[in-house]
Amino acid sequence: MNFEDHKGGTGMDDLDMLLARARDVDVPTGLMGRVLEDALAAQPVPRAAPVSLWRRLGEALGGWQGLGGLALATCAGFWIGIAPPAYLPETAQSLLGASTAQAEYAGAFGWTLEELE
Amino acid sequence: MPLDEERGPDEAELLAAYARGDVAAARILTAQLAPRVYAQAYRMLGDTAEAEDVAQEAMMRLWRVAPDWRAGEAKVSTWLYRVAANLCTDRLRRRRRAVPGLDAVPEPADPAPSAEAGLQAAARTDALSRALAALPERQRLAVVLRHIEGLANPEIAQIMEIGVEAVESLTARGKRALRAALAPQRQALGFEDDAI
Repeated sequence: MNFEDHKGGTGMDDLDMLLARARDVDVPTGLMGRVLEDALAAQPVPRAAPVSLWRRLGEALGGWQGLGGLALATCAGFWIGIAPPAYLPETAQSLLGASTAQAEYAGAFGWTLEELE
Repeated sequence: MPLDEERGPDEAELLAAYARGDVAAARILTAQLAPRVYAQAYRMLGDTAEAEDVAQEAMMRLWRVAPDWRAGEAKVSTWLYRVAANLCTDRLRRRRRAVPGLDAVPEPADPAPSAEAGLQAAARTDALSRALAALPERQRLAVVLRHIEGLANPEIAQIMEIGVEAVESLTARGKRALRAALAPQRQALGFEDDAI
């Protein structure tokens, strides 16, 4: 008589049943902790994404708020340069105590273009 | 990490998450894989301490390979079973070189036949362990993976790096040898009266 003689309703013989029951193995308690310790010790440290030069420059200037203010001031200055308000020369005079005048172009060598003709 | 609500992330996704620094992934992988690899090593070596060492070493190799793991190339558990099988093979070879004939599970303490079902179950487990230990190494690995770990033949073929037909042959021969080894103990193990 051998182990094949005893197939029951499950279709498994004694050996199959014995093998199936052998699946349950008690894992030593310390093993799981040691494996996890190894895992954490060997775990790669997440690397920070490289920061671009533009991003660092932007952060140095105060982030998006600072850059927004800077852009606004640049636009305003540019616009004032192109189309200065009518009251601006008077304001400059009162602030600086000097009058503005349009200087005639003088040649670099002390004579005018008309003299050359 | 995309989570499938039905099955949760698979092992490769968990390994990728681990490599990105996810501590929870390390815990899940440990809980899922360490007991399986320990059980495989224990069945192969028949020794608790050695099985622990093999399981810890195999898992350590998994952690180290995680950053370079290529998803889709191999199943994580298949890879791990193969690593554990190779580690067991190395240990069995060292044993044979050290003390010829030691490749067997130590004799258990007196099984002390008893009416107690627990004792009988322990006696059956011991008998199976000894019969397994007496099998040639490749047969033992094939039987353990097929009939104890419950893997499919194609996966075992990948682990053992042989063909599926060779796996079938090894498991068939292994089971025949187990039956032959256990048959004389039928009565002592209580199989005559018990329709397990």
